[in-house]
Amino acid sequence: MANAAAHAVEDGVEAPAKRDFLKILTVSAGAVALGATAWPFIDALNPTTAELAVSNPIIEVGGIAPNTGLRVMWLGQPIYIRKLTPQQIADNQAVVPSSLPDPADYTDRVKPGYESFVVVVGLNTGISCELLGNSPTDPRGPLDGWTCPCDGSIYDPLGRVRSGPAPKNLAIPRFTFLNATQIQLG
Amino acid sequence: MKLGISAAALLAAFLAFGSAAYAEDTLSPLHWQSQGTFGSYDQAALQRGFLVYQTACASCHSANALHYRDLTALGLTTEQVADITASIKLDNRPATLDDRLISALPKSQAAAAFGGAVPPDLSNIVAARPKGTEYIYNLLTGYQAPPADVTLMAKHYYNAAYPGNQIAMPAPLTDNAVTYADGTKATTAQEASDVAAFLTWASDPNLDARKQIGLRAVIFLIFLTLLAIATKRKIWRDVA
Amino acid sequence: MSDQTKSWLDSRLPLAACFRAQVCDKPLPANRPYLSALGTLITGTLIFLMLSGAVLSAYYVASDHGAYNSIQFIMRNVNDGWLIRSFHATGTTMLFAAVYLAIFHALITGAYRLPGELVWGLKLAFLLLMMLVGYLGYAMQDGAVSHWSLHDVTLAGAGLSSFPGNISNWVLGGPAGHGTLGHVAMMHGLLTFIALGVLVLHYYAKQAVAPVAKKTVPLHPYYTSHHFVAVSVYVLLFAVLVFFAPHLGENPLNAAPANPLLVPAVMTPPWYLLPAAAVTHALPGTEGGIVAFFAAFAVLFAMPWLDRSDPRSEPGFLYKLLVVILGLDVIALGMTAAAGPSTINAILMIIFIGWYFLHFLVLTPLVTARESK
Ligand code: HEC
Repeated sequence: MANAAAHAVEDGVEAPAKRDFLKILTVSAGAVALGATAWPFIDALNPTTAELAVSNPIIEVGGIAPNTGLRVMWLGQPIYIRKLTPQQIADNQAVVPSSLPDPADYTDRVKPGYESFVVVVGLNTGISCELLGNSPTDPRGPLDGWTCPCDGSIYDPLGRVRSGPAPKNLAIPRFTFLNATQIQLG
Repeated sequence: MKLGISAAALLAAFLAFGSAAYAEDTLSPLHWQSQGTFGSYDQAALQRGFLVYQTACASCHSANALHYRDLTALGLTTEQVADITASIKLDNRPATLDDRLISALPKSQAAAAFGGAVPPDLSNIVAARPKGTEYIYNLLTGYQAPPADVTLMAKHYYNAAYPGNQIAMPAPLTDNAVTYADGTKATTAQEASDVAAFLTWASDPNLDARKQIGLRAVIFLIFLTLLAIATKRKIWRDVA
Repeated sequence: MSDQTKSWLDSRLPLAACFRAQVCDKPLPANRPYLSALGTLITGTLIFLMLSGAVLSAYYVASDHGAYNSIQFIMRNVNDGWLIRSFHATGTTMLFAAVYLAIFHALITGAYRLPGELVWGLKLAFLLLMMLVGYLGYAMQDGAVSHWSLHDVTLAGAGLSSFPGNISNWVLGGPAGHGTLGHVAMMHGLLTFIALGVLVLHYYAKQAVAPVAKKTVPLHPYYTSHHFVAVSVYVLLFAVLVFFAPHLGENPLNAAPANPLLVPAVMTPPWYLLPAAAVTHALPGTEGGIVAFFAAFAVLFAMPWLDRSDPRSEPGFLYKLLVVILGLDVIALGMTAAAGPSTINAILMIIFIGWYFLHFLVLTPLVTARESK
């Protein structure tokens, strides 16, 4: 360093230990201040209260009569909630999964303890049309489930694809049962 | 350095004292606890103020930026707020926690009812008027008989606090317009003071957090500044 | 990092060594005042404003109907949104305070004289840019006052549309003004980056003409610890304002949403634009206002040549006194703008503006020529 010689003062005059302590304290206090200032910038990018209010809605399902369904919009997608009749449950428990285009057991499609409720995203898995069959007056297809008005795919009441161009079973959204009459999405 | 530390301790003691000086909103002297440099909201006054707003103002004015769920900040539990919303009807259904505080009167009808004057949204009214809290109080208690030399415009009332003194809003408060659950006497002045406190909160709901964080930040930064000065002096000691 | 990797890295990419040589060991005069930290403070604040502005822009909606409500959303629903906005607003206040102080300091010490004329010009360019950025940010709020202020400026802009290529349309988005806020937001951000570039130029220009010091100390640890004191005091002041006076120098009426049917009687801008606002009211008409505004800046730019003294001499007492009076004059001018229109105010305004031009065009040449004899 050519300039170093020009410096009137050089480092290391002070007893090192004492100076270090004060320096470390000052630098760490500065780092704390910097960190505390940075936090609100990051926190502001977390979901807002308004966002949270719509992203985890609680839905009343106690009032759904057997063989009827509910349609709610959640994050831009139609969510179908259907309550099955004992007959539908028995019929579908008897189906052998390996005989299906997209094999799935009854227990894969429902939550333990709440076997009569089916919760699915109501969009066909082939071309993405909204399915018919949530209300009893809609065409439900031969299996009493859902049908696609666009490509003719047929689903059973558990949302498993049974025939038609669609390759996959209906998607199941993230949700939990809070109690026997309420579910929370997300 | 020593002097600095004792100065910081003194300041901290002063701050603690300053914030404890007033424990609630009072009418005489007219004082809102939130107005001191370190003052926070008087939650009992805010709850009374919401009752006044809901009973005497909401028929004409909205507070659109607020949701009912925000009322938990007044010290109410979610269940208590849910009880309140259940009793408020919007378009033939009860309000929910996620509804905004809208007014019962659509804008077009309001303009017709008050000769073109539209009742403004009250969410931000305290921030939007110089000395907003006092102004609301003075406005609501400022209705008088007009002086002899003043001719009132049609559908206008004389108000000492309103700029120009002629306002299209009829006096909204009377004694006992509400019944307070905490037994406070519902005089017009009391109602005005409480609703002014509520609207102050509506304009600045983060005041309590702001001052709390601020106090800690400032004390920490005083400490940091003292450290910085000490370090600098030590490093520069050898430079003549 | 082991010594081996360190020496490998140093031989391939000598960043650390370069940083040590260029920054840490940089020789600086041993007697600089705390005010020499102003450059650091201004640059730091500008970057802080860019960061807080970036976070705000995640939620701000630049449209006629969306702007006001999106700011309410930031204040009430975004996590710590009120704090970020307060950072942004108060940061602006701190920045202008520091810039005005730097300009005043350069005036009173005669630092604008040759060979400092380019440094001085870049300082003024930065102030000019920040005034534009500050105004645009104020307009972005679309409050009851700033809405109408922007409306007036838009009309003035329409009057200037004879400029080649329709400059005003590019800036304002067309005569109906539906796209205006979007354009305003874009300019607000873009000009900030240009201002940062001006700061960089200012830094190097200042290096080029810095006098050779007799006695120097290395930047680190001497000026790092020195500036750390200045930064701590500045941040302390900043925090007091953020948490205890978040709306300092703002016009409360602007906190209400814009009312398209109600033009406010007094359009008071934020404090840092008050003197400039007064100057734009000095000549009749919006075009007159623009001419007056640029004339006020022109005399500042001309200072290196209006000053007749020997650049190496210390400014005289009378000159310094006049600069202090000028500072008070500018503050008083701002106060007349805040007070709103009245006959006395209009007269005072003319007097204060008259003194401003008198100071630069007559008093400065006379006094500096006499005092340097
Ligand atoms: C009968 C309808 C009605 C009721 C009830 C009512 N207001 Fe108003 N209010 C109005 C109208 C109309 C205006 C507009 C007045 C004008 O522009 O002259 C107004 C204006 C206001 C203003 C704005 C004054 C200003 O400075 O511009 C405030 C503040 C206000 N009201 C507060 C309240 C409060 C608080 C209550 C409840 C205690 C209330 N109002 C109840 C109709 C009402």
